[in-house]
Amino acid sequence: MLHFPILTVIIFVPILGSFLPLAHSRDPVVARWSSLAVTLVEMALVGSLFFLDLTPHASPQGTWLLLEEYSWIASFGAKYSLGLDGISLVLITLTAFINIFCVLISWRAIEEKVGSFFFFILFLEGTLMGLFLANDLLLFYLFWEIQLIPMFFLVGIWGHENRIHAAIKFILYTLTGSLLMLLALIAIYIMHGHQTGVYTFNLYQLMHTRFSFTIEVLLFLAFFLSFAIKIPLIPVHTWLPDTHTEAPTAGSVDLAGLLLKTGIYGLFRFAIPLFPNATKFFGPMLLALGLGGLFYAAWVALTQTDIKRLVAYSSISHMGLMVVGIAIWNPIAVSGALLQMVNHGISTSALFIMVGMLDERVHSRDFAVMGGLWGRMPVFSAFFLLFALSSLGLPGLNNFVGEVLILIGTFQAKPVIAILGFCGIVFGVIYILRMVQDSLFGEPRSEHDLWDLDGREILMLAALALAVLFIGLHPTPVLHLLEHPVATMLQQTQQVALQGM
Amino acid sequence: MPNDWLVILPLLSLAAGGTAVFGAGAFWRSRPRELLFALSLITVAAAGAAVVLVAPQAASFSGVLDLGSYSRFFNFLFLAITGLTLLFVRHYARERGFAGDELYGLLLFAALGMALLAVARHWLIFFLGLELLSLSLYVLIAIRKGDAGSNEAGVKYFILGAVASAFLTFGIALLYAATGSLDIGASLGAELQPGALPLLMAALSLILVGVGFKISLVPFHLWTPDVYQGAPAPVTAFLSAGSKVALFAALLRFSLDLGPAAWSYALPAIWVLAVLTMVVGNITALRQTQVKRLLAYSSVAQMGYLLMALVAVKEGGAPALMFFLAVYAVMDLGAFGIVGTLSGTAADRDALENYRGLGYSQPWRAAVLAVCLISLAGLPPTAGFMGKLVLFKVVLQAHYRVLPVIGILTVIISIYYYIKVVIALYLQPRAAGTAVPRAEPSGVLAVAVILVLLLWLGLLPGSVLNLVSRIAG
Repeated sequence: MLHFPILTVIIFVPILGSFLPLAHSRDPVVARWSSLAVTLVEMALVGSLFFLDLTPHASPQGTWLLLEEYSWIASFGAKYSLGLDGISLVLITLTAFINIFCVLISWRAIEEKVGSFFFFILFLEGTLMGLFLANDLLLFYLFWEIQLIPMFFLVGIWGHENRIHAAIKFILYTLTGSLLMLLALIAIYIMHGHQTGVYTFNLYQLMHTRFSFTIEVLLFLAFFLSFAIKIPLIPVHTWLPDTHTEAPTAGSVDLAGLLLKTGIYGLFRFAIPLFPNATKFFGPMLLALGLGGLFYAAWVALTQTDIKRLVAYSSISHMGLMVVGIAIWNPIAVSGALLQMVNHGISTSALFIMVGMLDERVHSRDFAVMGGLWGRMPVFSAFFLLFALSSLGLPGLNNFVGEVLILIGTFQAKPVIAILGFCGIVFGVIYILRMVQDSLFGEPRSEHDLWDLDGREILMLAALALAVLFIGLHPTPVLHLLEHPVATMLQQTQQVALQGM
Repeated sequence: MPNDWLVILPLLSLAAGGTAVFGAGAFWRSRPRELLFALSLITVAAAGAAVVLVAPQAASFSGVLDLGSYSRFFNFLFLAITGLTLLFVRHYARERGFAGDELYGLLLFAALGMALLAVARHWLIFFLGLELLSLSLYVLIAIRKGDAGSNEAGVKYFILGAVASAFLTFGIALLYAATGSLDIGASLGAELQPGALPLLMAALSLILVGVGFKISLVPFHLWTPDVYQGAPAPVTAFLSAGSKVALFAALLRFSLDLGPAAWSYALPAIWVLAVLTMVVGNITALRQTQVKRLLAYSSVAQMGYLLMALVAVKEGGAPALMFFLAVYAVMDLGAFGIVGTLSGTAADRDALENYRGLGYSQPWRAAVLAVCLISLAGLPPTAGFMGKLVLFKVVLQAHYRVLPVIGILTVIISIYYYIKVVIALYLQPRAAGTAVPRAEPSGVLAVAVILVLLLWLGLLPGSVLNLVSRIAG
């Protein structure tokens, strides 16, 4: 075991580092560079985990590569308990990676209140790290709710015209879900305490709580609602397009790349393991909602005239397929869904970043003023095409691997669902192609003074493109990281489900 | 048991300090403001030291006073509230010309009244404390003599407070008639005589109504927004944090004393009042456009959450209530106190529009105000989150199902109006309005203390939670 509390450091470097840009509010240059430094240090810290030669070892608190546990609120039995396994390692790497781009994309786009902007970005990064690492339910919940506050300000202060409305909608939707989850969380804690005499918020101990079926269903629904709003699943998805439309680019990147993932992550890590029988009961509903989202959002995306809204709906559509993968709950589908979280994080972030770049140039996101970019901004267009193709699942690029794994896993369990899922993906091709056609090709529809990408922008997109190609051509290292924790999780859930019968 | 004067040292020092302030005010013709302020602060500090240092003693003065650890906790809390109020009011009162002996003296006597409420084991002491507190507050609310709103608020609070006192007195009289005892524990915990039941119920209802007025439970809350709006902001802070916490501390003690039979009759009433208070308080707050009124309704709603957890008091809910009372005191004191420091001398900063853009022109005070609001809304990482967590935990633990669900739904409703103020502070462009007074040292100190307390209780509440469960257990 490592004695250096590296996971704690990973959480608190961005949280404490966020005060650097805030302290330099008067000097935007220092604020920008210090934020970039913090995200790079964070990336280095997370990267160092790969060189530690960690091996999973089992403990009463689950199987972890690294476990850090300190007492927190003794009278509740709540512990400050962080666990790192392959899944959280993949997700915190994604978080650290994406946040570098959040800082870079805002370099010129954010000119007002620069210090506070980077404060919120870094603070959000820290809370996301905590969320992906916490294995104590109360700690998880704490990070789950805190992350809403920086996001609220990011949308509300630096957003577009209707930003206040969007920010209110965002916070009311997400809090409604999470407050009901809080109640359910306390209920499990109390029931576990009554049954065993041990009052704890530790996930792996709470998994052995026994519920009557009705109670389990109610508790599952409370958790599920909270995660479903965050994912978002239809019909509680309506906050997302509005929030995306109004959010600044970095906010959209954080939101699509990371915040939505917390919903799937919560479903996978908490809701299903805690309530396996209720999950089984609601399995068809999960599949239906996932597939419904896949088709419905793709269809709505097709009718959008705002390119950012289109990408937002494409997010909802992709998240639907991930929910299908999680709901199938076999190793292949789940690994596929988890890998897809990373893929979607990279590709959609890249698309949002590029939409942001376009917005900086033409000051509009309407297809009516685009077209013909291929001739005028060749480098931009090449990257845009690459990420669009990755998003529609072209073989050799990242999304293909995830989608195929989800479909294979699903086919093993429920062939019909797999076929429907496949149709949904094909359906998705239509709106992506339409987006590419309307923006890159055809006659230019406006006389804007366009300039192609500069060095900073090319650097960012090249890094993302490398990630796209890496996962697309050689996904084994990532899948290898996911393999063991997924197997352990599935096996544990199986046991819990049998106990509960 | 011999009378142990040492035990009541906190009470004695408050009384002596209050008298000294009045004496000093009478002695010097020009009012020695700084001396009065210093004298009051020293009194509070001395009383606080006495609270901490003197060993608690459960029953003293023939069982009339209880200076055990429960009273000790609350006395410390009251002194902290008074101390913070003094810091908030110092500059505010000086700018508006009411920083006289009556202000400081009455604040100290009000603190004494609150302390008496917490230590009382005899109905007469309780009544004495209540009247001492109320009389001081009547004057404090109307202390801006030239200000019509302040005077109106004072009269309103006086009339309704007098009615509430009448209810309470009658209730106490009936309780005495039913049980033959004026000892609080004995009269409430008495075995029920079959014939005495109606009398006892009538007595308890009247006492509940009286206390309900003071802590503004729905439907006895109608005075709250008017009085909170009219009173000078630091006095409102003191009124909402101090007097409500003191009366709730007494109500908590009554509930613990109540015999099982009487408690089973009281429960449904508390349930209904809790739901009414949470729902009406939060929904009415949604429509407010004046910050002080909004905070007034918010404080009504917060009382609703406390009352919700009161149903679980016999199943070990007392520590949670004590913790939340402390949290509530800090956040309400902070919210109203900061409103005071942001206000110009003509009138308090009240309209929501006047808060627009303050987040950028007054970053520190606005940030702490935002933290107070986030805490009132019950979001982490603030104290309000931990407070709500422990409240909902004890209610669920006592096997209530519907009540906590209603409670959490009203919490969701409440997010909207708290966020509305945060939006004004940070998301809306600066409105042309009255100038904001500069921050001054005592106010800055108070604001900093509030911020530290809110984050400390929100992130590392372990030590305080241990303390309250040890006291209650």
